[in-house]
Amino acid sequence: MSNLKKILKSREISSLAFVVFLFLGVGAVNPEFLSVKNIMLCLNGSVVFTMLAVGIAFVIITGEIDVSVGATLGLSAAVSATLIRDGASWVLAISAALAVGLVIGLINGLGVVVLKIPSIIMTLGVNGVVRGLCYVYTNGKWVENLPFEFKALSQATVGNMTWFYLCALVLTIVIYVLLTRTKRGRYFAAVGDNEGGATLIGIPVGTTRILGFVLCAVFSAVAGLMYVSRIGFVTPTAGNGYEMKAIAACVLGGVSLAGGIGSVIGAALGAIIMASIGRILVFLQFSSDLDNTITGILLITIVVVDALLQHRAVEKARRERLTAKTAGSVNTEGGGQHA
Amino acid sequence: MPNNWFKKKFLRWELFLVALLLLEVTVFGTLNPKFLKPRVLLGSINDFMSICVIALFVTFVLITGGMDIQAGSIVGLTSISIGLMWQDLGMNIWVAAVLSIIIGALCGALSGFFVAYTGVQPMVVTLGGSFLYSGLAIAVTNLSATESYKGISGFPSYFTSFSKYRLFGIPSQVIIFVVLIVISYLLLHKTKYGRSIFLCGVNQNAAEYSGIKTKLIIMSTYVLSGMSASIAGIILTSYLGTAKADFGKELTLPIITAVVLGGTSNLGGRGSVIGTALAALVIGIMRFGLSMAGLNTQYLDIPVGILLIAAVACRTAFGHYKFFSLFRNRLPKQKNK
Repeated sequence: MSNLKKILKSREISSLAFVVFLFLGVGAVNPEFLSVKNIMLCLNGSVVFTMLAVGIAFVIITGEIDVSVGATLGLSAAVSATLIRDGASWVLAISAALAVGLVIGLINGLGVVVLKIPSIIMTLGVNGVVRGLCYVYTNGKWVENLPFEFKALSQATVGNMTWFYLCALVLTIVIYVLLTRTKRGRYFAAVGDNEGGATLIGIPVGTTRILGFVLCAVFSAVAGLMYVSRIGFVTPTAGNGYEMKAIAACVLGGVSLAGGIGSVIGAALGAIIMASIGRILVFLQFSSDLDNTITGILLITIVVVDALLQHRAVEKARRERLTAKTAGSVNTEGGGQHA
Repeated sequence: MPNNWFKKKFLRWELFLVALLLLEVTVFGTLNPKFLKPRVLLGSINDFMSICVIALFVTFVLITGGMDIQAGSIVGLTSISIGLMWQDLGMNIWVAAVLSIIIGALCGALSGFFVAYTGVQPMVVTLGGSFLYSGLAIAVTNLSATESYKGISGFPSYFTSFSKYRLFGIPSQVIIFVVLIVISYLLLHKTKYGRSIFLCGVNQNAAEYSGIKTKLIIMSTYVLSGMSASIAGIILTSYLGTAKADFGKELTLPIITAVVLGGTSNLGGRGSVIGTALAALVIGIMRFGLSMAGLNTQYLDIPVGILLIAAVACRTAFGHYKFFSLFRNRLPKQKNK
């Protein structure tokens, strides 16, 4: 099969096509939506979700799940914001946020890998604990009065794109290359696709999983920093429910919760969709209260259609194999394709 | 062997939960003697009734190997639909309540259908469901004349009083809970339907080949959990006297905690209604007791989260379900085969 055909069949392309069609569709109704400025607003607005989705993709690709990213975002945002407000150096604030992420990620990873707690349960518990710590740390109050310079970071642009989004974009592409072109990067997908097989060929399954959780939490901490800079204040409930939106973004971007399928580029594309739904509704002159409804419908439709297509592809491949066998010529290429 | 029989009968996870429950009552009782008054202790259920009711039936879902994180959003949808049907459509409140149970069942059926018949992971479908139903709840609120943040209130007193009614000093919510425990216990542990739920969780293919309509069974568990969420929504609306779209938003953690703490495996095939009911009480009493002891309610997720992780860690470390095998392994002559 030619490389071009392979690329065209990849899940990222179908996600990208979906984003393009979605934007064009909305543009057909309201041409203003397709102005460069507005598209850039959509992209820039998705930066927090992009970081969360890319982070969570590490975990999902290894076949686990992490529902603690929202609370991690909240706590790291609260910690860094209080430090910056009280005049500590930015380096300290940023490292504190990253440290928060690191610790939470390690706890998640060790709990899942060493204590063998199912990841949904482990991270659900950690989510509750960390959310509670957010309240304890902030004493239930808002963190406000951040210095202007820190807030200005999120406004700095190159062209129409904020530096934040540019960084996120570059980071996503770098990670994509690392995950698909390097040996260690391929471990993640290998662990998620077939744990037993990965163990047999000597891949450190546990370490890879822990690394996935740590990276996920660190990315959530980065998202927390960006959140602080963009929003300019932190409530104790900051990031509440973001974990579900980040997972939804991954699923929209073609990352399978079964593990092993999907990529961070897909996750980033999904994040754009998730972050733009509200804006799209406004441009279509619907109430943006319908945000969640549309997200739910979109999510269910996409996964169901995907599952049906996959089912058909598997059936078709099997039928091809059968006919090939009966015809007597062994076709080595037909089957085994994961859609 | 009588020794074995003793172990099988008593040294079980449920016993551990009962011990935990007694410990909690003693600790909170010494911290605050008021806590031990039957009126307070029995009345405390009003605070966590939703968790108890929903967890009972989410157990069914988890036993089939599924996952349900949408129940919380159905509570809000139910509540606001009752309010809307009563206020804006002028229905009788009881008719509205019955209709809202049907709505809950439909919500469950929709998600259950996709889980059972398309093979998408239950976690994804119910995630989509939680977005959809909480979104619908807000959309429904916008149809009504009142602002969404206020909620709909002013229900007739016969509706708001049924959840506060006391029969011989026993709050009606306790009675409802007991009735639901009995129903779900009989359904899960004493009927053919219950056995097929377990079999679906152990091995869906085997169940299918033995003539069980596994897809229908799996779908039905989601319908049941949707209906239980509606019942919780009705009770909550009645108790608080207000219908709001965001009721039940924070219930996912405690519900899943209750089910898993109760000894149900999230991989399916194992679990019990009694365990879930006890675990729901453990969590509820813990939340109630801690807040009575003066802890801010917003901190309550910390102990619940720790409890969840610790319980599951214990169970996986010491063999599922048999917490006491920890002690058994210490005894040299009782080697495991």
